[in-house]
Amino acid sequence: VSQTVAIIQPGHTVVTDLGRTRGPALGMPVNGALDQHAARVANALVGNRPDAPLLELTAFDFAARPEVDVLIAVTGARAQLTVDDYAEPQWHPVLVRAGQSFAVTHLHEGLRAYVAVFGSFEVPRLLGSCAPDTVLGFGTQVRAGSRLQLLREVPRVIQPELGAPLFLFDVRRPDMTQPLVVDVVDGPDKADFGETVRRLFTDRFRVGRSSNHVGLRFEGDPPVRQTTGEVLSRGVPVGAVEVPAGTEVLVLLRGRGVTAGYPVLGVVSEPGLDILAQVRPGDLVQFRHSTIDEATAQTRRRRAEVDALAGRVQTAFLALDLFSLAHGDDRWSASGTHVPSTSHHI
Amino acid sequence: VARSADRELDWATVHALAAWLTDQPGAVAFSGLIPTYDSLLVEFDPVAATMREVRSVVARGLAELWEHRSRQSVGRHFDVPVVYGGEDGPDLGFVAGLEGWTEEALIAAHTGKTYVIRCYGSPAASPMMDAPDLPVPVPRLKSPRATVPEGVVSLAGRQAVIAPASAPGGWQVIGRTPLVLLNKNAEPLVPYRPGDTLRFRRIGSEEFEARRGEPLEPNS
Repeated sequence: VSQTVAIIQPGHTVVTDLGRTRGPALGMPVNGALDQHAARVANALVGNRPDAPLLELTAFDFAARPEVDVLIAVTGARAQLTVDDYAEPQWHPVLVRAGQSFAVTHLHEGLRAYVAVFGSFEVPRLLGSCAPDTVLGFGTQVRAGSRLQLLREVPRVIQPELGAPLFLFDVRRPDMTQPLVVDVVDGPDKADFGETVRRLFTDRFRVGRSSNHVGLRFEGDPPVRQTTGEVLSRGVPVGAVEVPAGTEVLVLLRGRGVTAGYPVLGVVSEPGLDILAQVRPGDLVQFRHSTIDEATAQTRRRRAEVDALAGRVQTAFLALDLFSLAHGDDRWSASGTHVPSTSHHI
Repeated sequence: VARSADRELDWATVHALAAWLTDQPGAVAFSGLIPTYDSLLVEFDPVAATMREVRSVVARGLAELWEHRSRQSVGRHFDVPVVYGGEDGPDLGFVAGLEGWTEEALIAAHTGKTYVIRCYGSPAASPMMDAPDLPVPVPRLKSPRATVPEGVVSLAGRQAVIAPASAPGGWQVIGRTPLVLLNKNAEPLVPYRPGDTLRFRRIGSEEFEARRGEPLEPNS
């Protein structure tokens, strides 16, 4: 039996990870999962490394059929998760038996869902990352009939038919009540906008139609640049808040070109970027002024929660001998691959 | 941002600092290091390092670089054949007109200069260079083209660039090289790096067709 997952309905799905961190120094966008938190949680829930390849679904329904037993976790946007038509919970490890199909449909309260699979996928990497790069034409295609190679299967120790759910991990889900509050710290060119910078925080902004993984456009009354003159091309961070044409606010996301010449009035915090990964055209956003200290503390607190969750999952999986196919420290090997060892096979 | 009176020094400093930071043991904390003309953008994971730690490592890097400032690495040189004008350089006439020059004069200026690759830029490892001395800075297109092919040679502001990959483009396109700059199956992805030098050489359409798809390689 081949260790693959066959794609039945691809929707709009990519195989990605936390991003190509060696890319920006070469003039390539970092790319990777737009909702980094949801991606980290999905991988944590199935015992994977945080940067393991996983699926990112945008807006459309997805269905697949693994040819071996797999453990999956679906996070991100609220959706309907079914395994052979039985509803299963999101933000939770879910067993899918060989030959069963699972579907993630009706994405709402958010735009992107993440599907991590125990052991992750064997996919090509560029500069250490599998994240698609549309400019280079790099990435793993997810089409109807595609088969994604798994690095290992779940050992036959799990018997969910016997009753109660195997795992109970309490995961805090993001609050998607509108208006969504997005924290912004001061950018290097805040002063260029004078007093009008306040408009970013007093007005609410509506997500525009022409938004994608490169950037989000917002309709509203934007701050106005008070200075003129060309800014020499320079690196712009993910999360940069700009007003390029003077008519709308632009927030750059992980697909952004790494250099540009527009003044940067603010930078969205990491938790803020995860919220922006989930907004849809028409959604209302309230930007909130924050500080680097506050944004750092918030990011650290959330990451500590994910680390604690990953720890609990590891403990539970070890107790079930779930890692027995590849026991030991190689789970965290630098290559990110799981090398099966035959000695502990059940 | 480096702000000395010396533009060359600023440029050399931000690139040397980026290289130095890449070699540090804690470099995994950096999620993006982007040196350009006079600035270095350092993106880092706020869980792996604090702002204070990053500031202190940057200060240490600058101090070390200052101590070893005499050490200069020797760059390699590239010759880039280019077909100017026509379909391959649709904006040649516009830019020449703007400068009050003939197309021939603009080509002569563009091929008459040895360029230093200043930094990598968008879309993918593009070699960013200072444009030849032009009377008037070149404006960007009012509405960017949805796609320009790989290999196009363009100008904007006081900058010159070659596009390694096909992408949307707002720069004025004056020509195109048949050579391939980017190989996504190789490491490094592109053969040049900041500090290397480059010259453009005018070719005709026959040589363009003959050399189409050849990889760009440094002069030996």
